Amino acid sequence: MRRMFLRRAGLALLLMLAATALTFALVTAAPGNVAALIAERAAGPGADGEMIARIADELGLNDPLPVRYVRWLGDTFTGDFGVSLRTGKPISEEFAERIPVTATLLAGGGMLALFYSLGLGLWGATSNGRFADRILHGIALIGASTPNFFVAALLVIVFAVGLGWIPSFGLYGWTSWILPCVTIALFPGSVLARVVRVNLQEAMARPFATTGFAKGMNRGEVLVREALPNIAIPYITTFGAQFTLMIIGAIVVERLFGLNGIGAFFIEAIRFRDFVGMQAVLTLFVVFFVSVNLFVDLVAMLVDPRLRRARRA
Amino acid sequence: MSEPVYAVEDLVIDLYTPSVSVRAVDRVSFAINAGETLAVVGESGSGKTVMTLGPLGLMPEGVTIDLRGSARAAGKDLVKMSPKKLSSLRGGQFGVIFQDPMSALNPMLKIGPQLAEQARRFAGLSPAAARAAAVSLLARTGIPDPEDRYDRYPHELSGGMLQRAMIALALAARPRVLIADEPTTALDATVQAQILALLRQIQNEDGIAVALITHDIGAVSVLADRVIVLYAGRIAEEGSAIDVLTSPVHPYTRGLLASVPDFRSDTASGTREIPGLPPDQTRVLPGCRFADRCPQAEASCRTKRPVLTCVGGNEVPHRAACPIVIRDEGLADND
Amino acid sequence: MRFARLPWLVLTPALIFVFVGVFAPLLMTHDPAVQDYTAILQGPSTAHWLGTDYLGRDLWSRIVGGARTSLVAMAFVLVAALVIGVVIGSVAGYVGGLVETVLISLIDIALALPSLVIALALMGVFSGENFDWLSDYWKMVLALTLAWWANYARMSRAVVVAELQQPYIEAARVMGASHLWIFTRHILPHVLGLVVVYASADAGALVLAIATLSFLGLGVAPPTPEWGQMLVDGMSYIEEYPNLVIIPGLALTAVVVSFNLLGEAFALQKVPRALRGRLLGRKRAERKAEDQARVSVEGQA
Repeated sequence: MRRMFLRRAGLALLLMLAATALTFALVTAAPGNVAALIAERAAGPGADGEMIARIADELGLNDPLPVRYVRWLGDTFTGDFGVSLRTGKPISEEFAERIPVTATLLAGGGMLALFYSLGLGLWGATSNGRFADRILHGIALIGASTPNFFVAALLVIVFAVGLGWIPSFGLYGWTSWILPCVTIALFPGSVLARVVRVNLQEAMARPFATTGFAKGMNRGEVLVREALPNIAIPYITTFGAQFTLMIIGAIVVERLFGLNGIGAFFIEAIRFRDFVGMQAVLTLFVVFFVSVNLFVDLVAMLVDPRLRRARRA
Repeated sequence: MSEPVYAVEDLVIDLYTPSVSVRAVDRVSFAINAGETLAVVGESGSGKTVMTLGPLGLMPEGVTIDLRGSARAAGKDLVKMSPKKLSSLRGGQFGVIFQDPMSALNPMLKIGPQLAEQARRFAGLSPAAARAAAVSLLARTGIPDPEDRYDRYPHELSGGMLQRAMIALALAARPRVLIADEPTTALDATVQAQILALLRQIQNEDGIAVALITHDIGAVSVLADRVIVLYAGRIAEEGSAIDVLTSPVHPYTRGLLASVPDFRSDTASGTREIPGLPPDQTRVLPGCRFADRCPQAEASCRTKRPVLTCVGGNEVPHRAACPIVIRDEGLADND
Repeated sequence: MRFARLPWLVLTPALIFVFVGVFAPLLMTHDPAVQDYTAILQGPSTAHWLGTDYLGRDLWSRIVGGARTSLVAMAFVLVAALVIGVVIGSVAGYVGGLVETVLISLIDIALALPSLVIALALMGVFSGENFDWLSDYWKMVLALTLAWWANYARMSRAVVVAELQQPYIEAARVMGASHLWIFTRHILPHVLGLVVVYASADAGALVLAIATLSFLGLGVAPPTPEWGQMLVDGMSYIEEYPNLVIIPGLALTAVVVSFNLLGEAFALQKVPRALRGRLLGRKRAERKAEDQARVSVEGQA
């Protein structure tokens, strides 16, 4: 199993390199003359050709692309992501301020999605086909179909505007996290609830479930003790995928609720053509996604006895 | 004779799924006594599994089942029992061995702890005693190095070993009836014989009642005391294994035995097939269900349902549901 | 594919969406872009069926126009991504070797980030001066297409590889069929069969992506009506006029639910389901009637 995991880890590293190289090529070379952009920001519309050339020279923008990529990669490894074209601050400083915000969102949203999906999915499976099942099915379907910005809007209308319980904008204590976390948890939680439901039903139709009944278990026991372990692998895999997708929810809610996280920084970078900032955020995302996927692979391997066995062999 | 451990009377079972509705069992009665092996023989789809497992509520997900008649075990009628009570009866009273141990054992669960849990729940053992009981049960079912196998997952064992583990699991709760649903079908020929020998050994040692569901006449001749031949949800013939196997009466039983290679000396030269296909069980037409395939069928066979009639037997009555053969061969036995 | 379990009624929003999108010009009562400062933030009336927004634009006409915007963009992206995906996936699967390795790496890179993040990044790239010749609308379509093809490519390749192992392909080859013949006659139908079905269920995700981009201010630019953008505009007035948020939000949700149900119908095909309710009652009644008919023939049993 260790060999299998090391192979995966090696592939993940290659994937990170390839993906950052591709984004680097796209983001720094394709849009146009970055030096002109910087000069324009520094000196206004009157930036002359000489200034542009000097900036390009200073930043090494005249070097061939592979050279620039390797240089960028070296800088990035030492924690130097460059200076934001928008704020003029080192991006590493921006990250230090903003990563905790986004990480809190993802952690809170991930936990909520976990509880919500297991609760809804199990409840749905215990009431197989009955009225409650249909209701839960409907909830999960709507949850997996409602745009998260609309969810956020509805939550604001009800809880912030209507009931006035929690702030709808900015960060004022821990209650400010409730609406954003609920918003981003709804979509992945609903998708996962459907995964739980469908896979549990499938497991309940397999012969080992009948064996469970023959052992004298009732339906609930068979569901939890025989069927549930068998959905662990699809659940973990989907959870990993949905957890990474939650970054989109984070981008949306950071903007909506005025939270200064990575997502907000990314959108600002795009809108203000901060190509250095964009590249830095995309690198962060690539590392995040690839590592989460790798971690999920590892957990799935540890959970599956058929794969775990390889360790002893 | 003491009261049978499992007695079914006038049982009718209808199965409904979204695609089909079937009269799977049509007015069947049988009983199993402690210490005896009853073989239920029939083609696939004849209702032999539904007849034995249906009253226990062991039907695949998605199948709705309607029961009529009675099925008595431990002084209770399973047909009238709530699903909750039924589930506790299943573990303690009945142990079940399924056809394919690879799919019938949960791939995510270790073998041993499942046995230990059964011993704890139904025999009331302490955790340590339950573990010891599980290990000794694994040893008893012929699994080598049971201490090691205790912590193994199903995919780490061969098919034959898995079926032994399945038998151990069925016995762990110390049931009074062991239902073996085609226990050897999915196994290699050499392993089949070993499993049958194991079942016989357990039967001899424990005096447990065994219901063997099979289409393997060889297995019947090895294990069974009594035989029920089921055709399209109805009993065609029943009696002691010797009577049914050596002097079959019902044309279906005769055809079935004749289709087994080298079983009866008079057909040693070759095997014969029963022509035609089993009837469409989604519709139950009047008369004998075998009439369409029967070489001796007469017009009356299609209008009158044949009743089981005694044709001999000593302690165990030998009965067949074919008035034509009984009339033609003068077999009616009214004592 | 069976659709026995598809609740056809729930597909209505998707059908309405397509209908409204196609016939939008006929259904609009006002020009959705025209501002009327004499009629700002009005409630529903005979003049403005759903009321007006903060610029006095007719909400009904903007909803209808938004349907058209989404539908057209979605159709472009879906078709383009499908074609790119099927071509790349088929070439990878059929040609094999180094070509396959390179293309698979490309697919893997494209799948390393969520499609919407890629689309966002591409919108950033397209904001550069080299892309000034593209309008915002087409930037969005292009970005989404380039973000969306990889899934279809991976799926196509898997189908091609699986089909190539079928014995009948070998048989066709032995009989002297050309590669083009084998591919178009035997393999492509399988690829399209699966990918088109998947893509139709994927339409909901695409409608959502378009709205999200516009919501973030990176998709369809004003004054073109678009639901996500209407929603974000309405957020400023959410306390007094929640309708400005709720109406486009509901339209969007209904359409996405409808498309997702289509996907669900595929996913649930293999789950066993018991017969219940009226249908079960009917089957039981049939069974009983048959019993009675038989007893009348057999006499007293």
